[in-house]
Amino acid sequence: MNTLKWLIRRELWEHKGAFIRAPLAVAAVLVLLIGGGFLYGMAASGGVQFQVNGDTLLTINGVPQPARMHIAALVASNYLAITAPLFLVLPVVAFFYCLATLHDDRRDRSILFWKSLPLSDGHTVLSKALVPLVVAPLITVAIGIAAALVLVVIGLLGGAVNGANLIAPVLANRNFYLAPLYLISFLPVYILWALPSVGWLLLVSSWARSKVFLWAVGLPLVTLGLLAWFNFLMRRFGGPSINYRWFGEEVVARILGGLFPGIWFGEIEGAKLATEQLGIDGPTLLGLSYATLLTPGVWVAGAAGCAMLYGAVRVRRWRDEG
Amino acid sequence: MSAVLKARGLTKRYGKQTAVDGIDIEIPAGRIVGLIGPNGSGKTTTLKAALGLIPFEGELSVLGFDPRTQRDELMREVCFIADVAILPRWLRVKDAVDFVEGVHPRFDRKKAERYIAGTKLTPTMKVQQMSKGMIVQLHLALVMAIDARLLVLDEPTLGLDILYRKQFYQNLLEDYFDEGKTIIITTHQVEEVEHILTDLLFIRDGRIALAASMDEIGERYVEVMVHADRIAAASALQPIDQRAVFGKSVMLFDTHAGGLSRTQLAALGEVRNPSVVDLFVATMKGSYA
Repeated sequence: MNTLKWLIRRELWEHKGAFIRAPLAVAAVLVLLIGGGFLYGMAASGGVQFQVNGDTLLTINGVPQPARMHIAALVASNYLAITAPLFLVLPVVAFFYCLATLHDDRRDRSILFWKSLPLSDGHTVLSKALVPLVVAPLITVAIGIAAALVLVVIGLLGGAVNGANLIAPVLANRNFYLAPLYLISFLPVYILWALPSVGWLLLVSSWARSKVFLWAVGLPLVTLGLLAWFNFLMRRFGGPSINYRWFGEEVVARILGGLFPGIWFGEIEGAKLATEQLGIDGPTLLGLSYATLLTPGVWVAGAAGCAMLYGAVRVRRWRDEG
Repeated sequence: MSAVLKARGLTKRYGKQTAVDGIDIEIPAGRIVGLIGPNGSGKTTTLKAALGLIPFEGELSVLGFDPRTQRDELMREVCFIADVAILPRWLRVKDAVDFVEGVHPRFDRKKAERYIAGTKLTPTMKVQQMSKGMIVQLHLALVMAIDARLLVLDEPTLGLDILYRKQFYQNLLEDYFDEGKTIIITTHQVEEVEHILTDLLFIRDGRIALAASMDEIGERYVEVMVHADRIAAASALQPIDQRAVFGKSVMLFDTHAGGLSRTQLAALGEVRNPSVVDLFVATMKGSYA
């Protein structure tokens, strides 16, 4: 769809800093700190240190063969874990994007320019939902994979120079090639879990005349607080209890936290994850993630997200901007 | 061809207040219509209704479309510059041209580029770096390159200096307007548009106070510089407005209302066509009282 393509491009023009420059900057910092730290550590100690996010996993000085294979497998399966900070930046950026996107053009009146063009409100809102759901995660994944590969190259070459040549065993490990596919395979799960948040935030962004953040965050939290308070009072005076915890977990968490990658792990029993000894196994994690889609809550919340997106379209269509 | 814009009993209420009070309008193709009224008279509300930006009551058809239900189709044929609209600050000139070309089937890129070449705008310039006049130039370049059947301009030159304003209307007439197009303009700077208008619509308190072509107006309204000795006789003919210029009395007559003739009025003094401004002031007398 041509119009949609231009609308998404429009969003990236406006938010280049948030969706492209910010992850690029974080990736650059990762490469500099981890890669630089690794090279420095090697030069200083003469050995090889494997670090993830600053924690030393292993220090190696002359490696026996079985350990080499073991380390190579670990690297090949887990090298993308280095990019985790990028996926902490993504939800923050996406959250504030959703809050601002339908509000900013109303505030500065440029909505009347967009509305003077043959752009339906449905298309506009759809483009603004696709950016945090699909486009921004894909950009972050691409930048993450690139940064991780740079770090792997630094690590492998540095190791080889210092007598721990892992190049062949890493490249021969099929997990090395499958890891990016595993990462991208999380996207459908992410979209479903993020839908209620994107729907809620865009609805508020489309509806609120001002103080978008207060409405979007304050309204659910105040409601939750009131429910907890009523529950406290009711129980005190022997009335029926209100299940405010349910409201917190099923409504507030979903509409405010859905953009956080991996929020679905809250549904997975910790025991299943704890059994993973050698780092996190991609296929297992993916399987557990998709298993969360078997619960009806995700789908109900996803449908509610779509309904809220529709609401955002209606509000944008008919709200008089004065 | 049927009317470009046709309203029957168009009404818009904001709570208890009636902004537009059951107006009837019919605008044929190939006209430049001035929709003129004091602040808060319902001009902008009428245009917003026509552009499908607000819900309303009554019947309204624009190019055969209902703006409420067929806005998406309508916007392929209509373009507008809203009084308060600004271009987004982050937009670059070249991106703006690319974008409109991408989404508008009736956009002529060459025309936009030709117009931009005649200004100080450069392709990589962002809106936030432009003066108000340059922003309007960019907006106009985009709008004029769209082959729309109806162009709506709501105070398009507000806040511009006289050079930009003159150039704006000159471009509009020379490069844009033709008999297949219709332009509706609202503005307070009546004197600047009166020579390009073909029709006048005066609106007051949400009602149409006057709807006529400029030819009809020239025929119907007569301004007389009354000779000093004829003032009593002239006043007896019930002028709709009266003012003094350099000690001389100037009276405005509606020949339809009093069954007056030009020759009859010529006997009272020097006869001429009134300016739209004077006609406006006479029609709107007491609006703010």
